[in-house]
Amino acid sequence: MPRLLPHVSSPGGVLAVAGAALLAYAALYASPYELRVLTVAGVYALAAIGFQIVFGLAGALSLAQGAFFGIGAYVTGILGSRYGLPFPVTFPLSLLLPFVLAVLVGLPVLRLESHYFALATLGIAQVVLLLAVNLPDLTGGANGLAGVPGIAAFGVEVPRGRPLAAAVWAAVAAGGLLAWWMARGRWGRALTLVRDDPLAAATLGLDVGRLRLAAFTVSALYGGAAGALAVHTQRVVSPEVLEFPVMVSVLTIAIVGGRGRVAGAILGAVLLLHLPEWFRFLEQSYLVVYGAALLLAIVVAPYGLTGVLERLLPPPAAVPVPPRAWAERERPAGTVLCVEGLSKAFGGVRAVDGVTLSLEAGRVTGLIGPNGSGKTTLINLVSGLERPDGGRVVLNGREVTGWRADRLARAGIARTFQTASLPAGTVLDAVTAARLDRDGSIAAAQAHAGHALERVGALHLGPRDGAALPAALRRRVELARALAREPAVLLLDEPAAGLTDDEKADLAARIAAVAAGGVAVLVVEHDMDFLLPLVDRVVCLDGGRVLAQGAPAAVAADPAVIAAYLGDAPS
Amino acid sequence: MLALQLLLNGIALGAAYALVALGFVLVLNATGAVNFAQGDLVMAGGILAAALAPLLPVPGLLLLPLVLALMAGLGLLLSLAAYLPLRHRPPVAVFISTIAVGIMLQNGVTVLFGPEPRAAPPLLGGGTLDLAGLVVPEQSLAIVAVAALLIGGQQWVFGRTQLGRRLRATAQDPEMARACGVPVTAMVMATFALAAAYAGAAGLLLANQFFVTPTAGGDLILKAYIAVTIGGWGSVPGAVAGALLIALFEVGVSSVLSYPVALGALYVTLLAILVFRPQGLFGEVARRRA
Repeated sequence: MPRLLPHVSSPGGVLAVAGAALLAYAALYASPYELRVLTVAGVYALAAIGFQIVFGLAGALSLAQGAFFGIGAYVTGILGSRYGLPFPVTFPLSLLLPFVLAVLVGLPVLRLESHYFALATLGIAQVVLLLAVNLPDLTGGANGLAGVPGIAAFGVEVPRGRPLAAAVWAAVAAGGLLAWWMARGRWGRALTLVRDDPLAAATLGLDVGRLRLAAFTVSALYGGAAGALAVHTQRVVSPEVLEFPVMVSVLTIAIVGGRGRVAGAILGAVLLLHLPEWFRFLEQSYLVVYGAALLLAIVVAPYGLTGVLERLLPPPAAVPVPPRAWAERERPAGTVLCVEGLSKAFGGVRAVDGVTLSLEAGRVTGLIGPNGSGKTTLINLVSGLERPDGGRVVLNGREVTGWRADRLARAGIARTFQTASLPAGTVLDAVTAARLDRDGSIAAAQAHAGHALERVGALHLGPRDGAALPAALRRRVELARALAREPAVLLLDEPAAGLTDDEKADLAARIAAVAAGGVAVLVVEHDMDFLLPLVDRVVCLDGGRVLAQGAPAAVAADPAVIAAYLGDAPS
Repeated sequence: MLALQLLLNGIALGAAYALVALGFVLVLNATGAVNFAQGDLVMAGGILAAALAPLLPVPGLLLLPLVLALMAGLGLLLSLAAYLPLRHRPPVAVFISTIAVGIMLQNGVTVLFGPEPRAAPPLLGGGTLDLAGLVVPEQSLAIVAVAALLIGGQQWVFGRTQLGRRLRATAQDPEMARACGVPVTAMVMATFALAAAYAGAAGLLLANQFFVTPTAGGDLILKAYIAVTIGGWGSVPGAVAGALLIALFEVGVSSVLSYPVALGALYVTLLAILVFRPQGLFGEVARRRA
């Protein structure tokens, strides 16, 4: 992210110098035609900034940005040329209609897998284009509408040329600053986690659907604003503004410029809008070049030009924030989580079949059973990643059966995964993500994340790349991330897998310390030497049912448990 | 009688859509990624057939093998340029690279052949048969027969041959297939070739009745995408059934109202299906990763 007061040799500095050069060119040298190209580049930059939020940050491939652009254009075009309404009326309405459409389409599909979102947004684009061509009484049909007035508000008219270019680029600057400010805060971080690992985001208390919907509607606002300004520039509106090349241009600008970066959107727009000017001999085939540029960028430089810039001139490392403990709260003793008759079937397989168990504050419960006995499914049910078919889950006296993962996470359930994957980025950032819904600022979240890392003895890993850590260290960081949630219930899925004996002893001590703080802990584990001394109770599953539960020694000696593990009757 | 006529038209259109959707879902299963260029490949096949026709004045049926072969070659190029360099990246990268290839195809064709609509020759003849009062265009019957043959051929290859077993293994679990000695890269390339060839066939079939313009691909990719979604993401028979359903819906609603209304209604129906039955009408095959 470019900083506001950059060091000149940083990417931000290079971009600031480039921006100043562009400004000087526009103010002093550019011909009327060149100013027009720059103005159109500004329009596309604005549309692409919105696209950076929904696609670059939130990772949802929207194919509707062209449609929002076109709808904004038509609202301004129709109201301006048919009804003579002024800019202060048409501009807000050009933002409102795309926004409403984004809510209506986004609500049903944004919780689904991303390919359904791409389809739904592609559908909007096709339907809106068809409407524009086939409603000639409203839209002027294939010919469109001419005579759209320029920008005029409160008695001031903005004439073509430098004033219009300045107005459009002022909008780009305002929109860009707003987007940059949103991207660098808690909301931007939450979106990138939703993009990189939606499953982890949900278990860290982030409402994935709502975040994606917010990003999508914001992108619609930017698209509508860009479309309105485009029509004020062209003074005519025709179905061209709704055709797929607009969408492709925005996508190409964002990818070539630099995915997720506001500066990338601006850089890409200026560059790609000038491409046809620099290569006049291409004439109508400039879109072939756009296609080639898009393909080349996605293959060779997936983070675009700003990504290349950041690699050539790496920004100085962030100053580490000193860790700070959060205020420990009083935790009620006794039963925290009650599971009664919980069931889940996949097709004909009853993965969890009427399981009843309870977890108590300050106690560690072990969950054992052969592979496929339903341990992970049980954790998925309790943490909300799967919905139970039957039974009840009660948390702190409140029925929470069938709640979504993010709601359960906010209610106090935290978990780790068997695979322990961390998103790309630093370890500190990964743990900071767990505090986004609790702390008021990024700095506070980072300080508390540092504390969580300290508690598992991993503070020194903070600046390292999480995705590149060996599995044993990833598990440790994941545990810190779960602790940062200050959970009432902690569910650990095979936390000791792949650890050495020393590391296991260290891990056991840390888990015991967490439980001593009043947390109800459930540990799934195969290693009995690790598990039995650690836990207060053991529950053994087999075929989705509870085979035995009780004190560790008693369960370990239970003939049925031994038979289930060895697959043979004890002799 | 009108209903029967519409049914016939719908089935002929659906047969061509089914070829498009089939290519889409085969690539989806083999790579886990959406091939967004599938609609533009159909367009390219149609334009290719229309461009070859004056050079080779033979019925469309004899042009078909040539179009299939040339399009298969294009499919191989597509996999080399837009899939293989991105195979270890998230599926969205392939989505974007195939958008890029689609836009290159679309505009490349416009530059080479111009933007005007073109027609491909009919498969056999342009006449109609009169079956008990029902006007049956020969082309419609030929479309259904050719599509049935091609889809049947795909089912036979996948179900009964060593090549088909390898292709299915690649689609089910590429890592495991590679461990078992299946040449996964070659199989993925073969899948792209097959998908492009079937798209080309669909282009030849559609370009006779409906003409073809360089921008026709956008509408077709949407239809294929919807067909695969309502048929159950990843299901091959579901994709074919979904394509038939869409075509019948489109022909039925268009006959009473108009094509724009039909497309609008199709889209609203799709949104409703996504809300109430996101796994598709027949159930999702591609298991989500947990």
